[in-house]
Amino acid sequence: MGYVAVKGGTEAIEASLDRLKYDRLKEAEVVEINTVLATMRHLVDQVMSEASLYAPFLAALAIKQARGSMEEAVFLLRAHRSTLPRHYYSETVDTEDMFVERRVSASFKDIPGGQLLGSTNDYAHRLLDFDLVKESKEENQNWLRTYHERMKADHPDKDLQFFPKVVDYLRAEGLFERYPLDDTPPNDITKESIQFPTGRSERLQVLTRGQTGAVTSLGYASLRGYGQVHPTIGEVRVGSVPIHVQHPYEEDSEQDDSFYIGDVQLTEVESFVPVTVKNNNQKEELEFEIGYGISFGQNETKAIAMSILDQCLQKPHGEFPTHDEEFVLLHIDSVESTGFISHLKLPHYVTFQSELDSVRQVKKGGESNDS
Amino acid sequence: MKRKQRTEILIQDGGALAKELAESVMQNYEYREIEEPHYGLTMIKMRETAKKSLFYLGEVLVTEAKIEVNQSIGIGIVIGMKEELAEHLAIIDAAYRADLPVTATWQTQLETAAEKIHQQKVKEQAEILKTKVNFETMEV
Repeated sequence: MGYVAVKGGTEAIEASLDRLKYDRLKEAEVVEINTVLATMRHLVDQVMSEASLYAPFLAALAIKQARGSMEEAVFLLRAHRSTLPRHYYSETVDTEDMFVERRVSASFKDIPGGQLLGSTNDYAHRLLDFDLVKESKEENQNWLRTYHERMKADHPDKDLQFFPKVVDYLRAEGLFERYPLDDTPPNDITKESIQFPTGRSERLQVLTRGQTGAVTSLGYASLRGYGQVHPTIGEVRVGSVPIHVQHPYEEDSEQDDSFYIGDVQLTEVESFVPVTVKNNNQKEELEFEIGYGISFGQNETKAIAMSILDQCLQKPHGEFPTHDEEFVLLHIDSVESTGFISHLKLPHYVTFQSELDSVRQVKKGGESNDS
Repeated sequence: MKRKQRTEILIQDGGALAKELAESVMQNYEYREIEEPHYGLTMIKMRETAKKSLFYLGEVLVTEAKIEVNQSIGIGIVIGMKEELAEHLAIIDAAYRADLPVTATWQTQLETAAEKIHQQKVKEQAEILKTKVNFETMEV
């Protein structure tokens, strides 16, 4: 069955675009991009993460343009990304250099450096705050002034603290396997389509740009029995990491000659997953493996779910869909899944006519076209 | 001062010092724009902590500019949409590459700014450290 060209929709489409604009403007309210940026940071983070482009201002613009539709905002940002040249690859980012804003462990209460709750909804009452209905800018400024004055009055230690990874502490104790640095150049799924079986770098890249809801749902499915991974969270950390790039022409430059270009905020998770392995004497013993999750911005649920799926895909298992890399990796991308589902509402007149013809034939007692 | 340290100071300072230093070059030397500020992407390469392997996290939007001073080309790159800062960083980078005498006078200003940034971060971290949990094990 081929496609046929039809026409006649031009005026209707123009009128439809007018209706779209009307719907955005009719309430006579204008939301500033900076307002979205300043007050909807988690939404901005989610759009950046799913679009795989760290650009807070553009993500806020996309949210405004899409009138809050996540799938549309991600589509807009992904499309814009395709118009920009890629000039640089960063030096390898290590999250030990993170300026930590939040760091918790569900595995140990006494982690080196301590547990920092930072800024989180986890301990807030989930009750609607009706004070926000009539929020006063003046009161907010007073609160901020008090907060800043308290900061000024503090005389903290002179040194900045950086926090060791919990997993390294356990590796030092010999409880987790140590891995040497693996400098194999990663594959880039934006340059070459993934082929199965995939490499680890491809899986992590697909997972980290996956749709938050899809990644979370599949991670949850694994916990509920449609998979074999049920981890304990070793560490969740949120904070900003510095990004450096090398000079494009100075070939013999030292590390100190690289450019610092700014920071990006990340959420990183290590999950500890118990596995049974056979030792040298063929006796079964318990070991831990690590599932890895990461996301642009602060998106802890997605990063945790990613760490579950990372570990699922490390251990393929025919019985469980969450351990099937084709099932997971080909269905979690926001643009691919929403694009394919929503294309179903576009004209399929010829295809459907063909199906109708078949049904009519059958009803008449004849044979269908397909048989 | 090496490029890594000075670009960190100039970007984290917010742009005021970069503007001041770049203007001191623009007022005393001829300069030529090789590439006006434009947007591009930098792909972030990460090392994951489970198996210590490398992967690509995603791209970050950057503004980049190239400017020539005294036959040396300087590059300014910064995350975000910051045309003016990219231009100033490129001029400062060119000044260092051309080894202009004026760069020797910048050391103190850069060190002062670095100290101020450091103090600000320490204070910010002190606020975060107030959210550290002080566990007490209860006797049952």
